[in-house]
Amino acid sequence: MKKILSAAVAFVLGFSAVSAQDTGTDLDTLLNKVRNGSVTDTSKYKQRVNAFRTKQVQQQAELNRSNAEKSRLEKESDRLTKQRQDLDAEIARLEDLLDKEKGKLGELFGVLQQASSDAKATLENSHISVEFPNRLNEINALVDKAKDTAQLPTPDEIRTWPSAMMIEMVQSGKNVKFNQNVRLADGNETNLDIVRIGDFGFIGGGRFFVLADGGIVEELPRQPSLVLDTVAPYQAASSGLVSLGIDPTRGVIMGMEVDKATLEDQLKAGGPTGYLILALGAVGVLLSVVQFVYLFVVKAKVKSQIKNSTPNPNNPLGRVLQVYADNPNVDVETLELKLDEAILKETPALERFLTLIKLISAVAPLFGLLGTVTGMIATFQAITLFGTGDPTMMAAGISMALVTTVEGLVVAIPTLLLHSFVAGASKTVIHILEEQSAGIIAVHAEKGNS
Amino acid sequence: MLLLSNSLDAIAAFINQGGNVLYMIMAVTFIMWVLIVERMWYFTFEYRKQKARVIDAWESRSERQSWYAHKIRIAMISETSDDLNTGVTMIKTLVALCPLVGLLGTVTGMIEVFEVMATQGSSNARAMAAGVSKATIPTMAGMVAALSGIFLSTYIERKAKRESEKLEDQLTMDH
Repeated sequence: MKKILSAAVAFVLGFSAVSAQDTGTDLDTLLNKVRNGSVTDTSKYKQRVNAFRTKQVQQQAELNRSNAEKSRLEKESDRLTKQRQDLDAEIARLEDLLDKEKGKLGELFGVLQQASSDAKATLENSHISVEFPNRLNEINALVDKAKDTAQLPTPDEIRTWPSAMMIEMVQSGKNVKFNQNVRLADGNETNLDIVRIGDFGFIGGGRFFVLADGGIVEELPRQPSLVLDTVAPYQAASSGLVSLGIDPTRGVIMGMEVDKATLEDQLKAGGPTGYLILALGAVGVLLSVVQFVYLFVVKAKVKSQIKNSTPNPNNPLGRVLQVYADNPNVDVETLELKLDEAILKETPALERFLTLIKLISAVAPLFGLLGTVTGMIATFQAITLFGTGDPTMMAAGISMALVTTVEGLVVAIPTLLLHSFVAGASKTVIHILEEQSAGIIAVHAEKGNS
Repeated sequence: MLLLSNSLDAIAAFINQGGNVLYMIMAVTFIMWVLIVERMWYFTFEYRKQKARVIDAWESRSERQSWYAHKIRIAMISETSDDLNTGVTMIKTLVALCPLVGLLGTVTGMIEVFEVMATQGSSNARAMAAGVSKATIPTMAGMVAALSGIFLSTYIERKAKRESEKLEDQLTMDH
């Protein structure tokens, strides 16, 4: 047992001895390595320190050089600052000198600037510039120079201003014919012989033209009907005095003519109510005329019947008298009843349409009012949506809403007048029938008896 | 002459301010006054002769009692009454028409005002003023024209009625 144990111990020791022998050699090499390593490290460290030291020397030299540069530049800066101050003083001195030398000329240039700007505006809006486009370039150059304080316009340039104004003055008293590219109402451009009427406008091809923005001659899209027929005779005339409509506001009034609503626009604005009113009016006028002609004929026949003793059945009075002729021997009371009956039969034809015409003349203004009120409702709905900020939008609606009122009155006035005519004629005939027919019979009877 | 040309100028200026509707009012007023003057002339001169003729014709009849005489009397009164009333309805219609025409001018003037406002906005009072005067002057002119006629038209109407009643009284029937 002891042997086994010691053998085991020996085995364990032996084993550990073997391993201890192996690691023992490795550790030696490691030690060597460490020793050698520290040696190389030390040498590297020394090398690096040396390198740093040399670098420090270099940088010190650099620093010194820079400082020298800096002080040199500071000196330069000081010099330049001083130079600038000197120059500023020089500028101030020279400006003083300039002001002194310019003296009252400064005011003159101020006036020139204002006057040339005014002239530019005048020339830009002038009809004469279409013929002389160069004037604008010259005056523009003058205006630019007058505005620029660094430049002074030369006397020649200044002279372009009075000469341009002289041309304006002379030409505004002339009517000149010349050829020009114009823009027609349909948007096409064409070359046309136009006549410039002073500084008021252009005419050409029997129509009026206006000066649009950018110096373009433009045909008025809607010609002023009041004076349009004076254009063609003017263009055809070669001498003497010919009248021509001109716009003294140089296009403003003719521009308003373009914006004006035409009859067609206003009829359209009246809408269905407007058309209804006009239809009612047409019916009223038609019925009045028909009935008036009918009554006129009847009245003439009745008048001739009064003079004639033989009853003619082509007229109401004749038919009433016929009753007496048919019953010559009845007593007067029966005769009166028969006459009344005959008269009663005649009156409806004579009073035909009268009530309807009266009704139309009364109802037309009411319809007009209706149209206006519905139009106003639409306008106020627009106000609800867009607010009252833009009066132009409301005004257009109100203006159009009023059209139906006009239409109502336009229908009411003639129908009222026609009703009065027709009612008068009808009343005359009915009076003759009701109050005079018996008398006429009596006269005839007495004549027959005597 | 100078006075005439001055007043013509004043009228031209007035019409220029009030627009073309004033011509219409002028025409209506002129016709109305022609009819009124004609009626006044008729009442003062013509009617007396006519009345005398009618009374003469009636009085010269051999008998004034029969049914025939009765009917002839009614016919005579009716004829005279028709003559008395000629044009009275027309005068009344024309009087009623004057304010209507004035109203027409007012509405067209208002349309013009709103048209100007639609194109130029509400800031340009001077441009709107033309329309405003066209809107107000015709109404005034129509009213004045109607007022000038309304008194005499009522007088003429009553006069015609009274005269025909008087005539009826004077054509006495024998009992």
